[in-house]
Amino acid sequence: MTATSLPPTSSPDVRVRVRVRRLTLYTVLVSVAGLFLGPFGWLVLSGLKTQGELAASPVHWLPDVFQWHNFARAFTEIDFLGYARNSLIIALVYATLVTLSSAWVGFGFARLDAPGKKVLFGVLLGSMMLPQMVTLLPTYLIFAKLGMVDTYWPWVLWGLSAAPYLVFLFRQFFAGMPRELEEAAIVDGCGYASIFWRIFLPQSWPVLSASFIIAFTWTWGDYIAPQLLLSTDRTTLAVAVMTAYVNEGGTPVLELQAAASVMYVVPILLIFLVAQRGFVAGMSTSGLK
Amino acid sequence: MRAHAGAPPSRRRFLAMSAGGAMAGAAALSGCALQVSSGVSGSGETVTVMVNSGDILPEQIQQAKKDLGIKIVLVKYDITKLIAMLTSGNPPDLVRGVGAVELPYFAARDVAEELDPYFARSSVLKADDLDPVNDLWRFDGRTQGKGPRYGMAKDFSQDSMYWYNTAAFDKAGVDYPPETDPVTYEEWLATAERLVQRKNSQTVVFGGSFAGLTRATLLATITASAGGSLFSDDFSRVDFTAPEARKALAWYIDYCRTKVGPSLIQPDPNGWDGPTYQAGRLAMSNSGYWMGGMIGADKKLAEVSRLAPAPIFAGGERISACQGGTGLWMPRGAKNKDAAWRVFEWFFGEEPARARASGGWGIPTLKSLRPLMPAKEDYQKRVLKVQENELKHFSVVSFTPYTRADAFDALFNQTAPAAMNGQISVDTLAGRLNAAINEQLKRGKEQVG
Repeated sequence: MTATSLPPTSSPDVRVRVRVRRLTLYTVLVSVAGLFLGPFGWLVLSGLKTQGELAASPVHWLPDVFQWHNFARAFTEIDFLGYARNSLIIALVYATLVTLSSAWVGFGFARLDAPGKKVLFGVLLGSMMLPQMVTLLPTYLIFAKLGMVDTYWPWVLWGLSAAPYLVFLFRQFFAGMPRELEEAAIVDGCGYASIFWRIFLPQSWPVLSASFIIAFTWTWGDYIAPQLLLSTDRTTLAVAVMTAYVNEGGTPVLELQAAASVMYVVPILLIFLVAQRGFVAGMSTSGLK
Repeated sequence: MRAHAGAPPSRRRFLAMSAGGAMAGAAALSGCALQVSSGVSGSGETVTVMVNSGDILPEQIQQAKKDLGIKIVLVKYDITKLIAMLTSGNPPDLVRGVGAVELPYFAARDVAEELDPYFARSSVLKADDLDPVNDLWRFDGRTQGKGPRYGMAKDFSQDSMYWYNTAAFDKAGVDYPPETDPVTYEEWLATAERLVQRKNSQTVVFGGSFAGLTRATLLATITASAGGSLFSDDFSRVDFTAPEARKALAWYIDYCRTKVGPSLIQPDPNGWDGPTYQAGRLAMSNSGYWMGGMIGADKKLAEVSRLAPAPIFAGGERISACQGGTGLWMPRGAKNKDAAWRVFEWFFGEEPARARASGGWGIPTLKSLRPLMPAKEDYQKRVLKVQENELKHFSVVSFTPYTRADAFDALFNQTAPAAMNGQISVDTLAGRLNAAINEQLKRGKEQVG
């Protein structure tokens, strides 16, 4: 923003030019923000309409009467809080575990040397290219053999197994830390586990929060895994919002689905708003921005 | 190391937070779902039922627990999940299925349990009380509609019938269709062209929709109306160049080309006819009796809505098939078959069946439940009269066991838009469809053996 700040001794012409530039910049920023907010705004409006207004042509931009009760109905027609609790449990457990395990693996790739490390890292990154659909059935079969279908244990195991993208994130971050820190710790008698716990991890708060937000968002928004592994009572809000708002004929009630979707998105927005500084810093300091 | 934004926590604080998070997670897990669900393993008096939301209501599950002493665990229907469960040897005890298209597929692959012995000893579901629509759930190893029963429909409609909005007809000055006599497909299309309303080259009111439940069942049914069969005698091939199938295909492509209703080249953003019809943006909707459940809930709409018989082809047979017949079947590998059958009887013959029959969202599949169909209001009486007359023309249009309808539709959807846009002729389309779909059927036949 230094380019647009007004120098104290500038001439009126310069001031006008700077103001015009600033106005143009703000107009562009507000327009882009509006563009990004558009779909969410449309979702909110859809949640406030009647079914007839949703289907109207030409498009009915604003509802004649705001149907606030759609939100109340969306909340009460299914066990919204129960499904939200299920989502929250899974997301918190997975995000906590996968953040710690990915940090540990990322530390290994960044700071330790061993034959085949680069190949192994390549394989790890390559696994990101496997579509989830390819591993879906084998995953189900493994968990079925282990007796873990319709439990939350798969998310614990997935959490303990680290996630390639997050490993990459941590690896990039840890690789940028000065070698002297590590050497000083070794001189002081630290092993690598201690170096990780005592020195590297406490320094990586931004990337930890970025990783936690990413993992939490993945799990909160995941439809496929809970749909595959959990029964209707134990499933998550993402599955319930997509499937539970139907009429007696089994067809979706779109205005309730829209209202529920707004409420479903709110926790993610709040988490991002609260932790955005850490998230942005984490992404930028790991060289992934 | 203060280069990073955000205040780093102390090591002690970080460890405390981690421990807290892990403890909270462990407590949450142990409180919620550490135990393996006995429902999924299928043991004891627990029956796992794979259905869609709304098929079985939570209060009905409570009631079943009280009345039958059986705990019902619901699993959301999903074909991937079903295949995974079948493969793992732990299938649900009962599974939702669309009888018209799915039963031959699963029965031919030997994963569905024959239910004739259960029906034979049932005091709830008696053979002479079963509506003919339940024949969609019979398969003799080659032809649907014959042989042992593998399931039952929960309710049904004759899906080539259509609803129309009298206000749209009045506005356009078009005569209403006859109440119990069918119009021809050509007349239906001509009427739709008169009813469509456009503004600035945008369709404001669709003249009529004709999409069927799937393209596969729609084309098979229209071909049967034209007096032919889409499939060969052994159901291993389609032939769109046969005169009757070509006639059906040509009519459907005409319907799409004229853009009187939703189609692949003019999709309805609502995804189905209900909201569009309710908003007064659709003059005729190719939906059967079941859509009356939605229409009946809106008094104004009900007043102007009429149900009409399925169209016919001039000189063709009067056929009014069911393209769905959604119900339940029992996997051969189900672990708890006797309890599953008790739930089956309860679902199709007891309280849930009575609730569905009186709801107006479909015709009951037990003849004894027909008196429960809504007939209090004038519009309900009118609809019922048309529907009762139409039932005389019900027939099963058999579907192939060698492909799923969605695979058939995917191939059709890839090929047909060129013809709908006028880029290729119907004959060219027929040839391309034969090549693509027969290849699919060939692979399916190899799988079945």
